[in-house]
Amino acid sequence: MNDSFDVLVVGAGHAGCEAAWAAAKLGLRVGLCTLSRETVAQMPCNPAIGGTAKGHLVREIDALGGLMGRAIDATGIQFRVLNRSRGPAVWSPRAQADKKAYRAWVRSALDGLGGIEWIVAVASAPIVQAGCAVGLRLEDGRELGCRALVLTTGTFLNGLIHVGPDQWSAGRRGEPSVQELSEAMKTLGFRCGRLKTGTPPRLDRRSIDFDGAVRAGHFQAQPGDDPIVPFSFSTGSLKREQALCYLLHTNARVHELVRVNIDRSPLYNGQITGIGPRYCPSIEDKVVKFPERVRHHLVLEPEGLDVDEVYLNGLSMSLPVDVQLEIVHALPGLEDAALLRPAYAVEYDFIQPTELRATLETKRVGRLFLAGQINGTSGYEEAAGQGLLAGANAALAARGESPLVLGRDEAYIGVMVDDLITHGCLEPYRMFTSRAERRLLLRTDNADLRLTPRGRLAGVVDDEQWSRFEARRGRFERNWTRLAVTMVRWPGSGNRMPADQLLRQPEIGLAELVESGQVEFETCPGAEETDRASVESEVKYAGYIEREHAAAARLKREENRLIPDGFGYDGLPGLTREAIERLSAVRPESLGQAGRIPGVTPAAVAVVGFHVEKWSRSGKVSGRDDTRAEKGAAESRPVVGPIVGGSAGQQGMQKTQETA
Amino acid sequence: MFSPDDTIVALATPPGRGGLAVVRLSGPRSLEIAALLIDGRITLEPRHATLVRVVMPPPEATPAGEAAGEAMGGPALDQAVVTWFAAPASYTGEDVVEFSLHGSPVIAGEVIAACAGSGARLAGPGEFTLRAFLNGRLDLTRAEAIGDLVEATTPRQARVAFDQLQGALAERIGEIERQLFNLMAKLEASGDFDEDGDRFVSPEETRRAIREALARIDGLLADSRRGRLVREGIVVAIAGRPNVGKSTLFNRLAGVDRAIVTPVPGTTRDLLTEAVVFGAAKVTLVDTVGMRPTSDPVEREGVARAEKASAAADVVLVMLDMSAPLTDDDRRLLAAGEGATRIIVANKSDLPPAWDLSDLRVQGILPGEPVIVSISAVTGEGLDNLVWSIDRQCGLVGSDEPVYVSNIRHIDLLGRSAELLRDADRVALRPVGQMPENVLLSDLRLAADLLQEVTGKRTTDDLLTAIFSRFCIGK
Repeated sequence: MNDSFDVLVVGAGHAGCEAAWAAAKLGLRVGLCTLSRETVAQMPCNPAIGGTAKGHLVREIDALGGLMGRAIDATGIQFRVLNRSRGPAVWSPRAQADKKAYRAWVRSALDGLGGIEWIVAVASAPIVQAGCAVGLRLEDGRELGCRALVLTTGTFLNGLIHVGPDQWSAGRRGEPSVQELSEAMKTLGFRCGRLKTGTPPRLDRRSIDFDGAVRAGHFQAQPGDDPIVPFSFSTGSLKREQALCYLLHTNARVHELVRVNIDRSPLYNGQITGIGPRYCPSIEDKVVKFPERVRHHLVLEPEGLDVDEVYLNGLSMSLPVDVQLEIVHALPGLEDAALLRPAYAVEYDFIQPTELRATLETKRVGRLFLAGQINGTSGYEEAAGQGLLAGANAALAARGESPLVLGRDEAYIGVMVDDLITHGCLEPYRMFTSRAERRLLLRTDNADLRLTPRGRLAGVVDDEQWSRFEARRGRFERNWTRLAVTMVRWPGSGNRMPADQLLRQPEIGLAELVESGQVEFETCPGAEETDRASVESEVKYAGYIEREHAAAARLKREENRLIPDGFGYDGLPGLTREAIERLSAVRPESLGQAGRIPGVTPAAVAVVGFHVEKWSRSGKVSGRDDTRAEKGAAESRPVVGPIVGGSAGQQGMQKTQETA
Repeated sequence: MFSPDDTIVALATPPGRGGLAVVRLSGPRSLEIAALLIDGRITLEPRHATLVRVVMPPPEATPAGEAAGEAMGGPALDQAVVTWFAAPASYTGEDVVEFSLHGSPVIAGEVIAACAGSGARLAGPGEFTLRAFLNGRLDLTRAEAIGDLVEATTPRQARVAFDQLQGALAERIGEIERQLFNLMAKLEASGDFDEDGDRFVSPEETRRAIREALARIDGLLADSRRGRLVREGIVVAIAGRPNVGKSTLFNRLAGVDRAIVTPVPGTTRDLLTEAVVFGAAKVTLVDTVGMRPTSDPVEREGVARAEKASAAADVVLVMLDMSAPLTDDDRRLLAAGEGATRIIVANKSDLPPAWDLSDLRVQGILPGEPVIVSISAVTGEGLDNLVWSIDRQCGLVGSDEPVYVSNIRHIDLLGRSAELLRDADRVALRPVGQMPENVLLSDLRLAADLLQEVTGKRTTDDLLTAIFSRFCIGK
């Protein structure tokens, strides 16, 4: 070994940066391996952070001591809260980023923390001994030792870029792809698949007359919110000159151009085999799959304050450059726009996330953690959330401490991880509010109340964040109590009642009660909206929240019934072949997770529960006869290394197979 | 806790002497165990009735494969028809072997003991049906229907249970569930994709869908009283002042002389009950203590119990004596007891009347318009009319509508689901800015969860154990 680290992280995108940051916060020696220091925390697609459900992820990352919320607050150039009309439970912050400033901020934050060393090299293969990752081989032949390894390779594994008929091997435009690592993972036995994602063209700001297009009614200027609601619970009040975005629409001419040239699109002529995201469709998909829509929504977003690139949100495609130009010029207001970079599609390898535990450690190789697009997700926020969790768990494993596992009822991050490890990926996974069934509990306004104590316990929340949190929790509790004891007047009548009762009326808002001077409310600069929303949601939805807690608690019982490692499903009586196949593919960690696997019925879970109990009592797999039971045991792989699994607060299960 | 992976055996026909005794084996080893009991090398064909000689397996017989051939020679027990239902095409979804023996409890007992000696376990109550559920052969409503069908004491009960077994209830609940999921999908899509703009489903459409689902559940529940009365039977209490003939009527309807009948008022001092079948339903008759003010502490306790029994009954028969003038006790009784389903029974029509039925209404001492039936408990005159009236009051005659919901577990889940939908309906009425879809979705999701609990799409071990332990053994 040329050098040795506690935790090695491969890739310095949004997942890798959070992973390295979290591990270093636990005081470990971290190596961060990247192809180039210039592209750290790069945003290869849209210049924005947050949005519906993604804003929740950013708040959670921040509550757990992560980087993303503070980074976007520091470098954002336009801030808005989405879903205002749907009530505080789903308010979601979103911001336009200055990409260059964002990269610089993250890099200097990593450098400023101490304990992180940069390794500019190409990773080649994990070094595995006795079923555990113990190091990393680089393409230049060097070998680095580690106690835990985190892979966050983004779109680089066997990356292949498509623009019309042209295709070349690359991880992102202008950056080489990584070949050997992909092969190494397949050799280790990981089940891989191929996904596709795409990005729209970048236009030259100097070639567009924004004011003229607004006056002509082609564009609609979209300003930021005032006052700004920051992402991070650590950011004070934020005052900043904000940039404008511009809303525009496609038209019949654009749709016609797409249709005429459809067989020149690698997406439609068979050149691309990877599966793209349904939710963030290319313009080819939009036109072909929604022929009844006469126009689609596009947004021009600046990539930064002092850069000329403008991002055309909603127009990702893989058509040839000449068609792209024709399409752009067919949009009113963009007749003279110059193309700085064409749109492209990229295909890459990913590893089926059913290979993972809830800690993001692989079941196949101990101490090997995966985060981000390698797990089949799309989006910076999804990547960052996994990176933070994987980094923290890699560090905790290296220190021999119990892991950080988040449940579906605790965090969107928990929902995402559970979805990934239970369902696997058939298309790029994007976070949505609809994926979180307990979303009344998982709000942006209480992300810190839910998660900061968890992060503190795991060691990723530093003293400064913790003391700020304690102050905020104190305010929250005092504000809530005060509402219960303050008598206020019913508007337009003399009747007096406790403020919290009045607040339960749908038409009454806390802001008005505070403004009317009837209720005293504590807050601090920059936190006004979060302080208010967190109390208001708890009061307004009290009955619903209580009910959701009760429903979550009922399910907890099944979550806590763990399925031991090495438990085999082959030949278990009482299970259909389909159920056996699915259970064997996923190897769920608990009965609760087993029940969420599609095709596994409650009856099948009851049967599995019976066998697990029997297995735990006898230390043997039950089967149709003894010979088969022994054969089944011999086939199941031996368990290696310390297994960190199971749910929060529980010691990881450790079970070795004695038979055979 | 149940054990779903071994081989179980039980007598499937009633114990005792009869035409046939059927012993049923189910589980992975049933074919192998059956082979030990069959004389000679006979190969059973799936779903073929085969006539065999049943023998005791040799004591050293092991369940290993070749033992089947060596089993010959044990003492013969019986000649029987054996049928093998190969997994998964059987009642339980496992390999099932049924022995149709001559109906002797001795032979059946020996066959069961031989099976148990060869590795089968004696089945617990409902265990065959539980396995059918666990193996996906039945949903929970159908499994429960099998229990009801076996327990049925009236043709009407059997029909309701059979409809449920055919999936009538599961189908209806499935429809409601699909409707709710449709709505939820649209509401979710609005939340996911439409950041600030219009929605995938209008508030009107949302309310319409909620109300439609609610109306369907309410429809099922409206029927459920009738369903429950069919399934669980009707409790009929006989009330009246002392000595109007309550005990005579009780004995008449019960068909036995249970109650002591004397001309002395206050003879019956405690409740008497008897389960009988008459008309369309199973009826639990309750003869109560004559209601009158009394200083006797035993009689007073009896009166208190009588009042309680009347309050809990599905139908109260208020008895009057037509041959004697109405007393204050009669009037008190007639004036009270509003709310309960009552039938006024004017007894002793065989004697010269002291008053006329129309007097009751004229004098305004009867609140409401209860059914009045005149009978003679002594001669039996008018009893048919009374029985018919009881059924009618319970909705059991005159309506040939199928009944879907009869089980108290289903009624409870459906009722809670309807409650959540009512809340959703209220939430949906709020103007858009104040109508958080997510509150609505919370209601809808939990309502749908409860519907899934009815059919067993969601369930727990405890629930399964509770449901199946009510079954009889061998089912």
